[in-house]
Amino acid sequence: METTVSNKLDQFSADLSVSPLAIPQALQHAAQAYLSGKDFPTTKSERFKYTRLGKLASAAFTNAIQLDTAQLNAYCVLNDAYTIFVNNDQIIVPQNLPSGLEITQIAQHPGTFHDASFNDIFGALNVLHAQNGLNITLAKHCTLDKPIQIVQVNSGGKHFYRHHFTFGENAEAAIYVVSKSLADTISFAHTHFQYDIAQSARIRVSKIQDCSAGHFDFNEDRAQQNAQAHFEINTITLDGSFVRNDAAVAVEGQHAQTYLNGAYWLKDEQHVANYTTMDHRVANCESFETYKGVATDRSTAVFNGKVFVRKDAQKTNAYQSNANVLLSENASVNSKPELEIYADDVKCSHGSTTGQLDETALFYLRARGLSAASAKNLLLQAFMEDVLTYIKEEEALAYIHQRIADRFNWNY
Amino acid sequence: MSNYTENELAQDLENQEYKFGFVTDIEADTVPIGLNEDIIRLISAKKNEPQWLLDERLKAFAIWQEMTEPEWAHVHYQKPDFQAIAYYSAPKQTKKYESWDDVDPELKETMKKLGISMEEQQRLTGVAVDFVMDSVSVATSFKAKLSELGIIFCSFSEAVQEHPELVQKYMGTVVPSTDNFYAALNSAVFTDGSFCYIPKGVRCPMELSTYFRINAGGTGQFERTLVVADEGAYVSYLEGCTAPQRDENQLHAAVVELIALKDAEIKYSTVQNWYPGDKEGKGGVFNFVTKRGICETNAKISWTQVETGSAVTWKYPSCILKGDHSVGEFYSVAVTNNFQQADTGTKMIHLGKNTKSTIISKGISAGNSQNAYRGLVQIHKGAQNARNFSQCDSLLMTDHCGAHTFPYIECKNPTAKIEHEATTSKIGEDQLFYCMQRGISEEKAISLIVNGYCKEVLNQLPMEFAVEAQKLLAISLEGSVG
Repeated sequence: METTVSNKLDQFSADLSVSPLAIPQALQHAAQAYLSGKDFPTTKSERFKYTRLGKLASAAFTNAIQLDTAQLNAYCVLNDAYTIFVNNDQIIVPQNLPSGLEITQIAQHPGTFHDASFNDIFGALNVLHAQNGLNITLAKHCTLDKPIQIVQVNSGGKHFYRHHFTFGENAEAAIYVVSKSLADTISFAHTHFQYDIAQSARIRVSKIQDCSAGHFDFNEDRAQQNAQAHFEINTITLDGSFVRNDAAVAVEGQHAQTYLNGAYWLKDEQHVANYTTMDHRVANCESFETYKGVATDRSTAVFNGKVFVRKDAQKTNAYQSNANVLLSENASVNSKPELEIYADDVKCSHGSTTGQLDETALFYLRARGLSAASAKNLLLQAFMEDVLTYIKEEEALAYIHQRIADRFNWNY
Repeated sequence: MSNYTENELAQDLENQEYKFGFVTDIEADTVPIGLNEDIIRLISAKKNEPQWLLDERLKAFAIWQEMTEPEWAHVHYQKPDFQAIAYYSAPKQTKKYESWDDVDPELKETMKKLGISMEEQQRLTGVAVDFVMDSVSVATSFKAKLSELGIIFCSFSEAVQEHPELVQKYMGTVVPSTDNFYAALNSAVFTDGSFCYIPKGVRCPMELSTYFRINAGGTGQFERTLVVADEGAYVSYLEGCTAPQRDENQLHAAVVELIALKDAEIKYSTVQNWYPGDKEGKGGVFNFVTKRGICETNAKISWTQVETGSAVTWKYPSCILKGDHSVGEFYSVAVTNNFQQADTGTKMIHLGKNTKSTIISKGISAGNSQNAYRGLVQIHKGAQNARNFSQCDSLLMTDHCGAHTFPYIECKNPTAKIEHEATTSKIGEDQLFYCMQRGISEEKAISLIVNGYCKEVLNQLPMEFAVEAQKLLAISLEGSVG
């Protein structure tokens, strides 16, 4: 009887090293307690109802390949940005930062980690096994002249990262997180992002997820947002066979605004799951969620959005929408928009649609001389474009358009 | 079991009673408290059931013992002690009535209090009522008229005796005993319920109605309802519930199965007003019901429910749209007040081509209550051109209550169209102001607005029910405005 080996979780975590980071004891204990006796979740577990982990459990991860700066440079999406490279345990931090902006490696300058919650075994594993991460601080009243760009290149092996952002009062910044991976490598990355957003800060986080087929990408975003702050997470998923995003925003101060947006273009056997938790704890706040996607081939898209409106969060405006276009018989879309509301003077709504392109719109375009393919492309582009309007940097937008054009033969 | 004769059955029953040393007491007709195989054998024997049914019960019991109570619902309650329940209770006078006049006057009085008034219903409305007092059906009216058309409408135990072939053919086909914890429990210990069969091409000329009540303290009710509409048939079925005040929580775990064969249509309406517990949230009925229907080609099943009662509700009337062109509908108003908790919704499972489903759910939460919609729309691979529209609205009356929405939308077919929308808000101050400015009192204005809000659902109810439901809404929300 090989009872010990049959546990996939033990197998998976056997070669992970203990985290050297200064993670609070209580959090570590919670993670240990959470993991004890657990195995990889099956589709019976609510959180992994639509995600099969069999491939991850049986993946033969390739050895991590160390890349040099010149090689890493090729993966940048933005040319003019404060660019940080994350490659395996190596983190390269830019020099000559403007005053007010500090970027250090957590392994060298441990910041303060909050008791961030985790929702699954991977979040708990991160607490115990994260090897490195970034500590990024933007002082109050600082407006960054150009975006911060974190380029994470996955080149084999299993890696856990913890990034900690602290934004001072009235600070303003755009952050790009670009996730790429080397072809022909098999890798796993779980990244925990913690954002502390002070009053009146205006922060835009945009993620461009564009990995290769052999990469398993997990992201866990935890944000605490204070009064009058504006916070955005835009998750753009292009390539990558396995992507799970779990974003949770807790609003702690009044008159804050939160945007959670996502767009995904799926083909082949891609599996992309977006989980969001919007927690309205105080009154007079607004949140907007728009997740849109196209699923072709044998891909699966999962959306699970949760909006909490706590008892005292009167006058909350929460809006959530998930729209999907299903283009293939073997693709599937699972959507679960949830509302949990404990205050009465609120306006909350959610909508979810799944369907195909409108026949009449297609006819309209074809009657005007467009081919079937270009009519379809035009409609799909238009459908997805309202998420892309949140991507303000031209270079990034051009990159996204180019990648979609390459992958789907859409001509912009 | 085919060569099992009546004599053998009689012998078996005799032996069973002897075996367990049970002495039938005609007056006190409640089986001992608790649940084990012997109790199930006893219930089955008491009801003079054939062996196959007993086997089914025992099989379900074995399955139930392996299961654990579901905990995923958004409700919190003290789990019932299944060994502290008496699984069978019948009114003391169990003989069959020849006519309505023979009915025990005390029983009639209770019914009057409940506002059912059978005489009136018989005379004025033409509704055939199969009245379930605790677990045994006491009176059935209009039977003759229905049987002329070949319609079978009787209590479940009667159907087991008289139409065993139909019961055996259809029972458990939509809700198998393996389905869930409470369905398994019901399959093991169900006492009575209603059975309805509409033959081919027959349109049932009147609305069929059953009034359920829970009467004796400490008895859970486990009804079983089976409605079969044969090809091209139509039936509208009403189910209404009331329960007197009780201190301890009472468990109610029913199973309702609807079978709509080719071109058939079943309309199933429920008004549920069981005791919701007092203002402190003490007592009240636990309502854990499994309701499901299956639609063959071109068939239609429409569920309409007005839920105002019960301390805890856990109920998801569902449609399996198996046949091509079949239609499923779900219209629901769920009102929770004080400390009531409801987790209710529907499942629409699209298997056939060109299937259509509509979900309209209106939740109203008041007091300290929690009201959740939980629904599933599942489009399978072969469901070409499936269409679903869902709308779930919640109305919050106070700042202590909660309204929640948990929809699951799963699509595996690219030609399907699914729309889901949900909103949560409170009664508009401008609407209230408008009414009050025109001399309508606040209470009345709220009742007016709430009725308007529920109109889409109430319109689906048959006439008599619609009136009753409107009154119920007003009573349920009395003085609840925060």
